Amino acid sequence: MVSSWLYRDCGRCLLTRRWPAVVVSGLLFSVLLVLAVMAPEFLSEPNLGLTEHGPGAVPPFGADDRGRPLWEFAAQGARVVALPSVVAGVLVGLFAAVGGLVRSMELRWADSLIQAFGEVVGALPRMVVVLIVALLLPRDWRGLFPLAVVWALLAAPGAMDEAAAVAERLGGARFVEALRAHGYSMWRIFVVHVVAFNLRPVIVRQAAEVTMQVVFLEISLSYLATANGDPSFTHADSVRSWADILHLGYRALAFDAPFMHALFLGLGLVALVAGTTIGISRAARAR
Amino acid sequence: MNRWWVRPLVRTVAAVFLPVAVPLLLTLLLWALPGDPASIVCPPEACTGTEELAKRWNLDQGPMHYFASWVSSALSGDLGNSWRMQTGTPVRELVNESIPNTLKLIGLALVPILLGTVLAAVDVVNRKLDPILHLLGLFPAVILAVMAAAWKVLTYSEFGGETAALLLGAAVLGLADGAFSGAVTGTRSVASAERRQRYTGVGVLRGETELANILPNITPALAGQLRARTLHLFSGAVVVEVVLKIDGLGDLLWQAALLQDFGLVLPVATVFAVFSAILLLGQALVEGVVAVWIRWSPPGSTATVGGAS
Repeated sequence: MVSSWLYRDCGRCLLTRRWPAVVVSGLLFSVLLVLAVMAPEFLSEPNLGLTEHGPGAVPPFGADDRGRPLWEFAAQGARVVALPSVVAGVLVGLFAAVGGLVRSMELRWADSLIQAFGEVVGALPRMVVVLIVALLLPRDWRGLFPLAVVWALLAAPGAMDEAAAVAERLGGARFVEALRAHGYSMWRIFVVHVVAFNLRPVIVRQAAEVTMQVVFLEISLSYLATANGDPSFTHADSVRSWADILHLGYRALAFDAPFMHALFLGLGLVALVAGTTIGISRAARAR
Repeated sequence: MNRWWVRPLVRTVAAVFLPVAVPLLLTLLLWALPGDPASIVCPPEACTGTEELAKRWNLDQGPMHYFASWVSSALSGDLGNSWRMQTGTPVRELVNESIPNTLKLIGLALVPILLGTVLAAVDVVNRKLDPILHLLGLFPAVILAVMAAAWKVLTYSEFGGETAALLLGAAVLGLADGAFSGAVTGTRSVASAERRQRYTGVGVLRGETELANILPNITPALAGQLRARTLHLFSGAVVVEVVLKIDGLGDLLWQAALLQDFGLVLPVATVFAVFSAILLLGQALVEGVVAVWIRWSPPGSTATVGGAS
């Protein structure tokens, strides 16, 4: 009886209602923010005498090969990605809103301009552009923030295109005219009805996906640098990122080093970000 | 846009200009940043004799001079020398060694994507598999590449060297970041929207197949998706090549960017731009051919209807 209720009613509730997604994504995002806020400026002193590196010896996540607690790595990594990834997500969301609004206003010249922008920006592999920007940035400007903004600009055409398609399916200028005939103000028509009610699922999903992509970009760039013993493009040498945790995990996988706990932590952090993205996208979906 | 030739024409023009625009933009960017270009490429705290370096690297006479001389050399097949990574080594040699590996990697990675596209177009992928596909697509390339690298180390003795790296890299690229799942769901969404159109139903009633009816209309969209996915593969190739130690263009670009070797980054970026241009031309060609095909189709459908009735 209870199992049937759980399966049928609770399962349906999880699938159809938005509040579970809101709660789950809110919780996951809070974990990320708390980690970022709690991040120490510098890592603890190495403890080279440590013989056991697992979570049992150094709770809650274990330690690295020099005896430093991995939670500090996780927290510093969260601080590295938190602000740039969210800013990139917000930027893409704004671009998507503009793309949808332009289509619903049927501004043909602006629409053509956006399409041309998309063709040019989308013509090159993103990672190639990011690496070139990383190369050209003066050393003082180096960090994840400018790279995240570049990534957002590269992702913007796709988001604008999708939002424009949604606005077109909505009826474009005819939808706006119909609302105007009801006597609604411009603010209510464009901001409330077009953006908040109809474009919201696309805007939020695109923003959440780009936020996740920027986190993965940071992990990728830092991992490539860490694996070769080079300085990272995305953060100062004194700071550790989630890529360092994954690199420890790689050593556990490939060379049987005693850091399997690091692999689980690294994958858990990736899952945390992916879960947040899925949760936010589901929370914002249309009824 | 009502005129069918506008989009293919725009893409063709973009394809022609892209390989020139990319090095020009890079050169202008180098000069637009604060500080002189030689100091940006090699900061004074790392290099001595910046003026001498600027002269040696041809950076001392302004961006247009640098760009013009680089383009004229490139057109004659000389891509210049590496400045810092392998000082003095001709870039052409490095690029020629790298291109085949990258093309092999991308070609192999396209196999699962094309397979997904075809299977979705003929509608044989069960929708119940979607959650699994989505889950698989969530993994970023770097995570799968790390797993693949570890597996390659563990099995190196029995599953050898470069071929293994290429196959693993292609598998990673073909699955990571939603490549395969995107190919399936993207194609299916385009195809199913077209299947719901009235003309498809009419075609089926006439005894024609669904696919034959929808194919001309979905092909341009699928060509666009395929171009975007191939570009995505080139992007992911940078990560996969470095992690799996494949000597490809992505690895070359990474090493050059790390060492701020502008003399190497510029030609490698241009090579990527050439590949992008080829993809743009391919898409324009497909769009053009399909449009001409549709417009030149004889009014056979009317005859068939008449014959059938």
